[in-house]
Amino acid sequence: MVGRIHVVTDSGSDLPAELRQSLGIHVVPLTVQFGDEIFKDGVEISTPEFYTRLRGGSSMPSTCQPSPADFVEVYERIAEPGDTIVSIHLSSKMSGTYQSAVLASTMIDPKITVKAVDSRAASLGIGVQAVRAAQVVQAGGSVDDVLDVVQSTIDCLQVYFVVDTLEYLQKNGRIGLASALVGTLLNIKPVLTLVDGQVAPFEKIRGKAKAMKRLRELSAEFRERYPERQLKAAISHADSYAEASALAELLPEMAGVDSDVILGEIGPTIGVHTGPGTIALFLYGV
Amino acid sequence: MDVITGLTFKNMLLAAARHLDQQKDTVNALNVFPVPDGDTGTNMSLTLNAAIKELEMTGSVEVNRLASLLARGSLMGARGNSGVILSQFFRGFSDGLAHVQDGITGEDLAHAFVTASQTTYRAVMKPVEGTMLTVGRVAAEYAAAASEAEANAEGVLKAALEGARTALADTPNILPVLKQAGVVDAGGQGLLVIFEGFLAGLTATPEELEQLLAQQVAVQTAQAAPQLDEVVSVNKYCTEFIILGTGIDTQHVRRELEPQGESLIVVGDLDVVKVHIHTAHPGQVLEFCGQFGDLTEIAIDNMKLQNQEFASHEENHHLDFSTGTNVVDFPTDQVRGNPKPIGVVSVVSGDGLAEIFRSLGVDYVVAGGQTMNPSTEDLVKAVNSVNAESVIILPNNKNVIFSAQQAKELTEKQVGVVPTRSVPQGISALMYFVAEDSLEDNLAAMEEGMREVKTGEVTYAVRSTVAGDLHIEERDIIGLAEGKIAVVGATPTGVAQDLIRKMVDEDSSVISIYYGADLEPEAADELDELISAEYPDCEVEVHSGGQPLYYYIVSVE
Repeated sequence: MVGRIHVVTDSGSDLPAELRQSLGIHVVPLTVQFGDEIFKDGVEISTPEFYTRLRGGSSMPSTCQPSPADFVEVYERIAEPGDTIVSIHLSSKMSGTYQSAVLASTMIDPKITVKAVDSRAASLGIGVQAVRAAQVVQAGGSVDDVLDVVQSTIDCLQVYFVVDTLEYLQKNGRIGLASALVGTLLNIKPVLTLVDGQVAPFEKIRGKAKAMKRLRELSAEFRERYPERQLKAAISHADSYAEASALAELLPEMAGVDSDVILGEIGPTIGVHTGPGTIALFLYGV
Repeated sequence: MDVITGLTFKNMLLAAARHLDQQKDTVNALNVFPVPDGDTGTNMSLTLNAAIKELEMTGSVEVNRLASLLARGSLMGARGNSGVILSQFFRGFSDGLAHVQDGITGEDLAHAFVTASQTTYRAVMKPVEGTMLTVGRVAAEYAAAASEAEANAEGVLKAALEGARTALADTPNILPVLKQAGVVDAGGQGLLVIFEGFLAGLTATPEELEQLLAQQVAVQTAQAAPQLDEVVSVNKYCTEFIILGTGIDTQHVRRELEPQGESLIVVGDLDVVKVHIHTAHPGQVLEFCGQFGDLTEIAIDNMKLQNQEFASHEENHHLDFSTGTNVVDFPTDQVRGNPKPIGVVSVVSGDGLAEIFRSLGVDYVVAGGQTMNPSTEDLVKAVNSVNAESVIILPNNKNVIFSAQQAKELTEKQVGVVPTRSVPQGISALMYFVAEDSLEDNLAAMEEGMREVKTGEVTYAVRSTVAGDLHIEERDIIGLAEGKIAVVGATPTGVAQDLIRKMVDEDSSVISIYYGADLEPEAADELDELISAEYPDCEVEVHSGGQPLYYYIVSVE
């Protein structure tokens, strides 16, 4: 008989717990380190606890990718010989998580197949890939069907995010090509994007309200780029629920996206790098 | 006088410069808006004086040689829109005298006035009548008519003067803004003053002339000298000399001297080469250049000890070295490493604003704008000193846009001008600057970006006037929205608050306030509190701009 297909991602995917559980998506946590204290994301530290510490903390936290052994443990727990695991992870340009998954795939029972995927994204950019993969699995699709859907999502995924400050991206070395934006004296809300799996500057905007307006315009522009597709969106936020949900409500009407906008919270893994106040928008067509 | 000799022609130009210098405040006072900037008289005077410096350095009395120095010097020294138009007038004037060597006849002079006027019209994209263009044109028409009637040179000049007077008096009838403000056109007045100076120089007795030319020209440049490079403290010796030799390879000289300092200029031909450099080791430079020939006219100044004189000194660096070609050769400063694709030069006054512009990626800040418009030469120097293949200029003042466009023609670099008319427009344009994109894409995006913001400025009135239904007394505080007087009041903060009320609408989300050098931070804090309370939905930002004359510069977007 044909083995089952399992979908695995990491804590950088920011999927809301209910959605994850309803689709049977497994999550391997990264660890977050505040000084000498180390926490497994979502296991040993919750998102609200994390932001309280981040805002009040004196030291800048950092993250650490899961070890191959962490992956082996999860893979062998969920799969049986003959099964296939589609394991979708943080962009390899920003994290070694994908590398750990690839290594782990060579360390487990050879009868379990692991298809590790470099999402070239972060946060719900990975999340939506995992969701679509799980939906294909639920609909009875083959491994190839799952991988095709994931690839097509990667190919059309457009990410825009607004940070309150570039300080966090800079201090953690994830600023990529946006380093030129550092050091401005004005209250500029940079709109950033991901290019080739790493952070790149997109625009400089004065003020958060204008930046949010710009995200709506960009959604409408994306709509025009893929007129033949059904447009989907996901929004994640770092301790900024009000702005994120306002955007989620406006998008279907203003930009013609489906009304089932996934709204998620940016957890510790990503939050360490973006800082509080970040709003991220993920657009893709199906 | 039938024919004007070269010497007399030179005296006429000198007399015109002195006369304009004395009259410049009168011309300045003719600004349509009574704001303490856009000084037409000062700009025209500095432009003409830049040309005079060229003339003073030559011993030549050939008319066409003098005329070409006049054209060249004014072109490089042009400041403000009126200065640029004046430089174009002289360029045409010089073209008209190109065939004249010994003496200018009435016919020659009339021809020069006509070509001068034609050149000014060609230089302006949309010529507006009722301005100095009209004054120059009518002067040329009167001059031509006099020449037709066989008038001599003096007769032609007198006719031109009469034409200019007639046209100037008529400018308020052509331009309603002039009539409303109760003034004649300032640029036209400046041109008339120059013509009056010509006549004085032509008809004065030797004693009168001596008296006229002895009058001191006030040093204008000190108040807004081109910004001193930070490197002055190191490369503090401004070193200038001429090499007289044979078969000198200027490229080689330039290459060898480049690492020795800044602001390097090497121009000339095979036999005569002029060198200018700011260096820490003038001795080494002289030693090196001595191998190519005899050194002469050596001048070494310590700029560090001469900060105050620096501005006027810098103005001496025109290239009076014309070898017949029209190439303006300002080699690149600061050539270190590979040039980046695009650099940005911005005209800003005030330490705070300069810092803000630099933080937004501007490579070179040219001091100026409100207080004093930089010359075309200042802009050319700035462009050449940015280590980039192409350069974008942000004038940030309506009176600098024209010089910026003129600078474009005087450098080998590819230059684009985003016609920003205010500091907020410059900042807004910079939001759209992407170093990796092409020059064309950047210019398009920045020009669109600059329109996203509304500009407000708070300053004081330099004279009483009426603007619409606002009665303004001298020293009143006035608020300008998009360059037009919108509010008048007693205190900068009160006027700023009223002005912001006129600018904010339901789409506004960010209000930025840059307070000037004449205000205490507490005043700006007070405004911050008032505005933040009044517009809770807007983000309010307050920065120290440090700009002179303008208490507040405000942007609403």
